[in-house]
Amino acid sequence: MTTAVLPIPPRLAVRAELRSVALAGNPNSGKTTLFNALTGLHQKVANYPGVTVERKSGRCLLPGETVATEIIDLPGTYSLIASSPDERVTANVLFGRQDQVRLPDAVVVVIDASNLPRSLYLVTQLIDCGRPLVVALNMSDIAARRGLVVDHAALERLLGVAVIPMVSHHRRGLADLMQALTCARIPTRIAWPLPQALLTQMQVLGAVLGTDAGGIGGTAHHLLIGDLEGELGNVAMTHAAALAEASRALAAQGVDAVEADITARYRWIDTVVEQVVVRQPSAERRSLTEQVDRVLMHPVLGLVIFAVVMALVFISVFWIAQPLMDGLQDGIARLGTFITAHLADGPLKSLLTDGIIKGVGSVVVFIPQIAILFLFLAILEDSGYLARAAFLMDRILAKVGLHGKSFIPLLSSFACAIPGIMATRTIENRKDRLATILVAPFMSCSARLPVYILLIESCFYPVLPARYQAVGKGLIMLACYVLGIVAAGSIAWLFRHSLLRREVRSSFILEMPSYKLPQFSEVARQMWVNSSKFLTKAGTVIFAFAVLLWAAMYWPRLPPAQERQISAQVAAAPSEDQHITLHERIADAQQSAQISQSYAGKFGHAIAPALAPIGADWKTGIGLVGAFAAREVFVSTLGIVYGVGDTDEQGTGRLSAQLQRDHRANGLKVWSPLAATSILVWFVLAMQCMSTVAVVRRETGGWGWAIAMLVFMNVLAYVSCLGIYQIGSRIWGG
Amino acid sequence: MVTATTPGFTLDHLAIGQSATVRTVHGTDHIRRRLLEMGLCPGVVVEVLRRAPLGDPIELRVRGYLLSVRGDHARQVELQIVGTT
Repeated sequence: MTTAVLPIPPRLAVRAELRSVALAGNPNSGKTTLFNALTGLHQKVANYPGVTVERKSGRCLLPGETVATEIIDLPGTYSLIASSPDERVTANVLFGRQDQVRLPDAVVVVIDASNLPRSLYLVTQLIDCGRPLVVALNMSDIAARRGLVVDHAALERLLGVAVIPMVSHHRRGLADLMQALTCARIPTRIAWPLPQALLTQMQVLGAVLGTDAGGIGGTAHHLLIGDLEGELGNVAMTHAAALAEASRALAAQGVDAVEADITARYRWIDTVVEQVVVRQPSAERRSLTEQVDRVLMHPVLGLVIFAVVMALVFISVFWIAQPLMDGLQDGIARLGTFITAHLADGPLKSLLTDGIIKGVGSVVVFIPQIAILFLFLAILEDSGYLARAAFLMDRILAKVGLHGKSFIPLLSSFACAIPGIMATRTIENRKDRLATILVAPFMSCSARLPVYILLIESCFYPVLPARYQAVGKGLIMLACYVLGIVAAGSIAWLFRHSLLRREVRSSFILEMPSYKLPQFSEVARQMWVNSSKFLTKAGTVIFAFAVLLWAAMYWPRLPPAQERQISAQVAAAPSEDQHITLHERIADAQQSAQISQSYAGKFGHAIAPALAPIGADWKTGIGLVGAFAAREVFVSTLGIVYGVGDTDEQGTGRLSAQLQRDHRANGLKVWSPLAATSILVWFVLAMQCMSTVAVVRRETGGWGWAIAMLVFMNVLAYVSCLGIYQIGSRIWGG
Repeated sequence: MVTATTPGFTLDHLAIGQSATVRTVHGTDHIRRRLLEMGLCPGVVVEVLRRAPLGDPIELRVRGYLLSVRGDHARQVELQIVGTT
C-alpha cells in the first residue's frame, strides 16, 4: 500500500467537555435508529433557520460527563459537497458555517457494513474535515448474512479513528460507542493517492491563498474540486485568476480534478476493503433483497403488486379510519348536546357549541385518517419500498416534469394535501419539489368527498335514467378524481415549461436500500411526530377559521320582531315531514334567516353577482365562505342556509330534497345538473383550504408561492366553471 | 461477448444482465459529480440489473449495492469493455 497510515497518537489526558456531538451518515445507514437509542425520548425537532430541513437533536449523558451532551442527528448525506438542501445543512454544520449551530465537538459517522465502499467515501471526507471522529460500524448482521465479515480492528488501524461495531436496533455496541466518544480523536490526515499533477496544482494555488492552504483537505483542494460553499465561494472570487490558472494547468495535463479526487478516494477505499472484509464463500450469491426485487420490480408483476399495495394503503386509510372518525364525531356531538342542555341560550353557548366544539370537531375528524396515512408512509419508507415506488413511477411522472419521488406525496394528497406536501421533503431538487407541492392540492382530498356526494346525489341522481343510476353516480365521481389528476399533470407540465424551468437538470440517482422489516418503535415515532405536526400546523388554522366562521354567521343577530314573524309563518304553514317537530322547524327557519342576514350571509349576497355567471347564487356563496375553514363545511353551511339545520344522516337527505326544490325566479332549477357540474368543477380545482395554504407557506419558506397557488388555482377554477356554465347554458339552456 | 473498447459506448446501451467497466463519466454538472461519488468511477465494474417498466430508469449493481439512475444520466457514463452475460 502506498498510503502510509500513521500510528494512533496516545489518548489525551486532558480534554475539553463534549457539549455537542453530530451524527452523520449515508441515508439508510441506520443513523436515526442510533440517534433514537442514544437520546431516548429526549428529542427536539425544529427547523434549521431559513430552510425546510429538520433539525433533530436530543440529549445523552456520556460516561464521565456531568452535563448531558447535545446529540444532533444530521440529515443523511452521501457527500460533504452538497447536492440538496439537506446535504448542504450537514456540510454546513460539520464545517461550522451553519447559522445558530455551534461546531460539534465530535462527530459520529454511521457506516453500513453491508455497503462498506460507499459508506467509506463519506468517511474519507470526514477525515479531511478534521473534527474528532468515531466510526459506528452498523448492520454487521446484514453483512454477515451476505457472507461479509468486517474486521473492525483492522479498519480502526487503517482509518486512524475508533471503529465501534454495533447493531443499533438491538442497542448492541451502544455503551462502547459512548465510551469511545469521550475520547474521540482528530483523525490523522491520509494521503489519498491523488495524481501528482493535482497535488502540484494544490501546492501552487495553496501558496497564493496562504499558509496551510495547499495540503490535502486544505482550501486549494476544496476549490479545485469545485467545493465553493460558504467562505470558500468568496475565496474563489478573490483568487479567481489563480484558480483559473491552476484549473487550466490541470486541463492541459488531461487531469479532471473532480474525477481524480473521487477516484483516488475510492482507490484507497478498495485497498482498505481488501484488507478488512473477509468473504465467506458459503453465502448466498444473490442477497435476499435482490431475490425479493425479482418479484417486486418485475416489469409486469411488479407493477401489479405496486398497484395492489397502493390500493390497499389507500383503501385502509379510508376504511380503518371510518369507524374511528365516526366515534370521534359521535363524542363531539355528545359533548355539544351536553353543553346545550346545561347552558342558557346566548352568545356563550353558541360560541361553545357552534364555534369551538364544531371547530375542534372539524380538526379531530381528520386525525384518524392522517395518522393512518403517516403510519403507512413510515412503513413504506422504513421497509425500503418507497425507493422502489419512485423507480417504478419515475418515467411517467418525468413526462410531466415531476419526479419518481413525487408519486407518494401525490397519492397521499388524495386523503389530504397536507401530509402529501409534508412528504415532498424527500425530493432533493427544489424545483421538482415545488412543482409537486403546487399540484398536490388538485388531488381530490377526503374533505371534498362529502361535497361530491351531496351534489351528485342531489343534482344528478334524479336526472339519470333509472337503470344507469348507480353506474352514473360512480362515473361522475370518477370524473371528479380524473379531472383533478389531469389538471395536476397539465399544470405541472406548464410550470416546468415556464416559471419552474430547470436551470439545473433534475436528477434521479437513487440508492435502492436493502429491504428490512419496519421497526415498530421507529414507525410509531414517525407517525406520532407527523400527526402532532399536522395538529399544530394545520389544526390550528382549521380551528381558527371555524371560530371566525361561527362569528361571521352569528352576528349581527336577527331582530326579535323578525324572529317572531318567522315562527308565526312556519306555524301557519303545513308540515311536509312528520318526523320534524314544529319547534325544530321554527328553529331551522330562524337559523336560515339569521345566517342570511349575518356577515357571512352579507358576504354571500355581495359575491352573488360574481357567482351568477358560473351558475351559483348567494346561498352557494355562503357555503363557499364556509368551505374556507375546511371544504366539507360547505355541506353543513348549506344545510343551515336551506333551513334543514345540521346535516346529520337524515339531514343530508333533507338537504338534497331542498336543493331539488330550489328554483330561480325564471322557474329554472338553481341546482340543475349544469350548475352542479360547475360547482363540482369548482371544488375539484379551487384552493379553498387555508391550512394547506399555511403549510405551503411553511414548506416553501415564504408567502410568495402560497399566495401564488391560492390565486392561480382559484382563477383556473373560476375560468373553468365560467366556460362550462356559459357554454353549457347556451346549449342546454341552464 | 468481449470486444475491444468501443469509443462512446455508454451505460444506457448495456443490456440487462450485462456488466462492464467504467471508463469515464462525461459532463460538467452536479449529476456527473454525484454519479462519481456514488461509486461509478473509472475502473469499477457495473452490472445492469433491470429497467423500469417504461424502460427508464435503470437499476445497477455497483460496489456491492443497488443504484438506480435515469437513462440520460447513464448516457454520461462511458464504458470500457462489454462483458459477457
